[in-house]
Amino acid sequence: MQTEQGSVDLVEGDVVRAFARAALLAALMGASASVAVPIAGVPGTLQMLVVFLAGLYLGPVWGPFAIVLYLFAGVLGAPIFSGGSSGLGVVLGQYGGFLLTFPVGAALTGAIVHRGRNLRDPASVFLPIIVLALVVATAVVYLAGFLWYAWVTDIAVLDAFMISALPLIPGDLLKMAAAVAIVRSGLIEAT
Amino acid sequence: MLTYEPDDTLAHRLDPRSKLAVTVGFAATALAHTDVVPLIAFTGFVLVGLAVAGVGLWQALYGYRFALVILAAAPVVSMLTLGAPWIVLSDAISPALASYRVLLLLLCSAAYVRSTPARDSRAAVQRTIPGKLGQLLGMGVGLVFRFVPVVLADLRQIRRAMAVRLGTERGVVDRVRRIGVLGLSRSFARADRLSLAMQARCFSWNPTLPALSFSRPDWAACALGITLALSALL
Repeated sequence: MQTEQGSVDLVEGDVVRAFARAALLAALMGASASVAVPIAGVPGTLQMLVVFLAGLYLGPVWGPFAIVLYLFAGVLGAPIFSGGSSGLGVVLGQYGGFLLTFPVGAALTGAIVHRGRNLRDPASVFLPIIVLALVVATAVVYLAGFLWYAWVTDIAVLDAFMISALPLIPGDLLKMAAAVAIVRSGLIEAT
Repeated sequence: MLTYEPDDTLAHRLDPRSKLAVTVGFAATALAHTDVVPLIAFTGFVLVGLAVAGVGLWQALYGYRFALVILAAAPVVSMLTLGAPWIVLSDAISPALASYRVLLLLLCSAAYVRSTPARDSRAAVQRTIPGKLGQLLGMGVGLVFRFVPVVLADLRQIRRAMAVRLGTERGVVDRVRRIGVLGLSRSFARADRLSLAMQARCFSWNPTLPALSFSRPDWAACALGITLALSALL
């Protein structure tokens, strides 16, 4: 067995804090896939809400990083995708468009709300800006989601929209309202 | 639920990087082909892969049962029309073949999931992706594996506490807001304690990684992965 002689290159304190928060948010994203909350009469997960929260509270850099961590862990075997599934096949499967653009959604939310790497308190941001950020993020995720579904299952774009996106819209509108309510509560501090 | 199980199959003995190469190569070629003949070949490949990893076909299908329902919707919706004759079976053929390749993709990745422990996957990420990004991704993947059960228990506790206080009678936005606030604040509190603990234990950019060994079967698996990826161009 070899003995390494190199010195320890410590990670900076602010990076450790943001990294730990990103890892726990990724774990929250994974856990929320297993918790079905009845939304608009249909059991749904809170994953889109966690994407919003990633952008709002971790910003445009660590927010998408948290979601990328979630995707990596799921691909590598953590049972954190819908229904407790995992593996590369899920990320490249029919809902791959949604999953792969979740980090983009978090990045857009963070970029619009924080307008840079220095994070602001989301509770102090003008409310229409928050709403705009959530709408843009949702629109991008949905667009990629149903176009990917249409491509991977070889069906018409309209059919793909009806199957993959339309049933999710009522639930995600409520999650946007919940995200706004979380921000307005001012109970959580952005990192 | 399909997760890692200790075993002594050939797939369990392979390096995670070579298994990832095969999985990615198969994904590339499966997404590029929807004809019947390649799909028959892919089916044989996947069945062999599952056998090599010691995964039962029904076990793998059960693990992806939720995805299969949505997958089956594509050909069903495609064959429906808004007027007579209402059902056109020929319209379902192409979506059915395309959906079948997604099923094969899911089954192929089941072999990796079943045969690779989180520790090896983490080491594979840290050794494959260069620089600080690779270190953070690898360590983060390890933390996600570790903390998902903890955070899940937090969420369930929050929901039980809401239920005994008749929180289930509240409006949906209020319920989701409460779960969001409590779930996120608890996770961030855990993260802040974790970051303190990691700094106290000299959390570094150059940790000692778990040992991985690349043997002769791994080179063969890598060659197979590259061949599969190149076959996507055919």
